[in-house]
Amino acid sequence: MHIDPLEKKWLYIAFGMVGLFLGAIFISALVSGIHPPSNVETIDSARLHLSEEFAEDNLGVRIQPDGTVRVTMVAGRYGFFPRHITLPADTPITFRWASIDVLHGVHMPMTNMSTMVVPGYVAEVTTQFPKPGDYPMLCNEYCGTGHDFMWSKVTVVDKQTWARRHAKTEGDPS
Amino acid sequence: MMRLTLALLTITGLAHGAPATQVAWTPETQELVKSGDPGRGEKLAATCAGCHGERGVSANSAFPSLAGQLPTYLYRQLHDYKDGSRVNPLMQNFTSALSDQDMADLAAWYSRQPPPENSKAADPSQFEDILRLVRQGDSKRIIPPCRVCHGKQGQGEQIDTPRIAGQSATYLEQTLKAYHDGERHNDIYGRMRLIAEQLTSEEIRQLARYYATLQP
Repeated sequence: MHIDPLEKKWLYIAFGMVGLFLGAIFISALVSGIHPPSNVETIDSARLHLSEEFAEDNLGVRIQPDGTVRVTMVAGRYGFFPRHITLPADTPITFRWASIDVLHGVHMPMTNMSTMVVPGYVAEVTTQFPKPGDYPMLCNEYCGTGHDFMWSKVTVVDKQTWARRHAKTEGDPS
Repeated sequence: MMRLTLALLTITGLAHGAPATQVAWTPETQELVKSGDPGRGEKLAATCAGCHGERGVSANSAFPSLAGQLPTYLYRQLHDYKDGSRVNPLMQNFTSALSDQDMADLAAWYSRQPPPENSKAADPSQFEDILRLVRQGDSKRIIPPCRVCHGKQGQGEQIDTPRIAGQSATYLEQTLKAYHDGERHNDIYGRMRLIAEQLTSEEIRQLARYYATLQP
């Protein structure tokens, strides 16, 4: 098959650009730890409040035996529960999410904590927050008329302060 | 003795963080409420008329009007009274003998009654301050506007957010106070408690008065 040399050059350039962009995506995703949440675990959204893990009193921040921190939260129109959590910086934190009603999204600006919360499924994200400070936690999937008002507060404090203040309580420190 | 044991169980249950309500809106429960028989409900409602009015419009402002209320909300409240998720000795007594089908029938009948006519014309200027909370909420306190859940006219929304328009101001005020103090806690994940606990008494009073003037 004959391909004109000029056409060949353009083909190389086009494939080169595709390779370059894909490379940029993969490298940046690998370097900064960005990945699609891949936890497929089902749960009955209608009975969520009657389940053990997502019962009202079991929500919030807990320290796991291996020293990591687990945050169990519920998204529902129009809020994230609990409303305010305090987390340690530079510590692996696993968020576990479930929705009581419709599709929600959770997003913490300036961090890579972001996931969809699909009714019927548990969303799980593990991440670390390097910088202490106050962060909002926003819903980024349109979920109804109150979507704009759906947000929570997350306070990230340095590891030592957090351990001193909250480690003993084991529960939601807010 | 039995009742005392039950009461103690309820109290200890709460101390250990019992769920806000035992009702789950599974397709079966929704189907049950939908299938409620208003004819049977009317007969059962004879007992309720003393406080809630002949056709669900209460003459006593301390008791809520039930006419035109969402059937899902009515069903869940009856269920919550029965198992103690919503605490009220009088209502617990009345609901103790009701089956799930009875509750669905009662809910069907009351929800089909015409809601109370509101005769007093509301002067919107007196509610200017509180309308901000109703329409825009308060982002500093993370309070969403009332109307995103209860509807633009306070008509209530699926699945079981109650109609509050035209309810008596006295009842609305005492309910908001009960949520504020945590005395009422049958809202899943404290959705209403988290809001009410941040409201001042003046805001509660104004909100109750505002929603009482709306025509349902």
